[in-house]
Amino acid sequence: MNREPPALQVVGMKKQFGTHEVLKGIDLTAYTGDVISIIGTSGSGKSTFLRCVNLLETPDEGEVSVHGELIRMKTRRNGLREAADPRQLQRIRARLSMVFQSFNLWSHKTILENIIEAPVHVLKRNRTEAIEEAEALLHKVGMYERRDYYPGHISGGQQQRAAIARALAMDPEVMLFDEPTSALDPELIGEVLQVMRNLAEEGRTMLVVTHEMGFARNVSSHLMFLHEGNIEEFGPAREVFDNPRSERMRQFIGG
Amino acid sequence: MNWNWSVIFDNLPQLLEGSLLTLELVFASVLVGGICSIPLAIMRTSDNWLVRGMPLAYTFFFRGTPLLVQLFLFYYGLAQFEAVRESILWPYLREAYWCALIVFTLNTCAYTTEILRGAIQAVPQGEIEAGKAIGMSRFNLYRRIIMPLAYRIGLPAYSNEIILMLKGSALASTITLLDLTGMARTVIARTYMPIEIFFAAGCIYLLLTFIFVQCYRLFEQRLLRHQRISRPA
Repeated sequence: MNREPPALQVVGMKKQFGTHEVLKGIDLTAYTGDVISIIGTSGSGKSTFLRCVNLLETPDEGEVSVHGELIRMKTRRNGLREAADPRQLQRIRARLSMVFQSFNLWSHKTILENIIEAPVHVLKRNRTEAIEEAEALLHKVGMYERRDYYPGHISGGQQQRAAIARALAMDPEVMLFDEPTSALDPELIGEVLQVMRNLAEEGRTMLVVTHEMGFARNVSSHLMFLHEGNIEEFGPAREVFDNPRSERMRQFIGG
Repeated sequence: MNWNWSVIFDNLPQLLEGSLLTLELVFASVLVGGICSIPLAIMRTSDNWLVRGMPLAYTFFFRGTPLLVQLFLFYYGLAQFEAVRESILWPYLREAYWCALIVFTLNTCAYTTEILRGAIQAVPQGEIEAGKAIGMSRFNLYRRIIMPLAYRIGLPAYSNEIILMLKGSALASTITLLDLTGMARTVIARTYMPIEIFFAAGCIYLLLTFIFVQCYRLFEQRLLRHQRISRPA
């Protein structure tokens, strides 16, 4: 059934900050419709891994391809790696939307303006159509009434739902979630998780760095447990939760 | 004390005429200096030391020396070079008006560059990353996200610069220009009533600043409406 190239493939990703090895060679294959939760203690490299996927951090080694298209890399004379072709990188990033821990909505734009920004200025879509679609997305995440508010005037949960709508407006092939509920008050987490659960049920391909064990266990199809920059455990989410093979995974979900 | 109101009212038309030149000089130099500061401020945030260093040398000179010294160097100094006197620009460069305009522009541009540089560096990293992650080109990132946010961050400091420029423009009078201060000095030379006339000139400067501050406040409210804190009624 998986004859088409995987939606996202990462091979041998390594990343070092100074002398500290954060990622020691991570491989990941996500097919369309997969929802992969990435869990692990803080410092295990899970956020760094996600940020390396769309090159917000440049991995020292490793390759990323989206639906078979490899992000071409080159090494500069000073030894730093970077994308060989900035336009290819931009094109691929537009297919991989990211949702951030701290929302990162553009504070000088209203919610609606935030959502139509990239469809109009990156995808060069017609503004009127972009607004129509943005309004549909706002309905979907329950934010239609707040469309003319500025990010600073709404709650964190509302900001995160708007940020998810902004990511969805690109109709991304893969969505990257970087601890989307970690900056939220406990009573606001539920509304964001519900939106994410709906996306998973729609068949969106998602990579989710999270501390929400309920989401990881019940919503995601696969689970990746990172420990000190290595994949300690990977498999179907239920299976990994119910029968963890590694001692660390057992401790992590037990404690 | 022998205070003479009539000398103020008699010479008011001349003082107002001088104010027009003051406004013209300030408006033109702030406008051109402001536009030129944008690429320079972006260069100042470059990772490349050479790109960063060139505008730094410029802003260091213009922020590190008095405006009066710059004006004299330019007005009296340039004419010492034969190459300048023979260039096609000489008809402009020998005019006090153009000298003042050029020096004011270079001076305000240097300050604005540094205000904007600080503002660009204060743009929240997360909002920049959101732009990168959604596939924006560098150009779009600057045009749509970084610069609009930087303008808003630099806005309060920038009003200071404009007010300083308004008052600094009084130095144009030292190279023969009849701006508000220059005109006041001319009137004083004729009437021998320095206190009254400088008092009147000071009032006009105050009034100009007051009008400017009011307009700027509205402008700021409009641009910074996303930061307004909604208070309970």
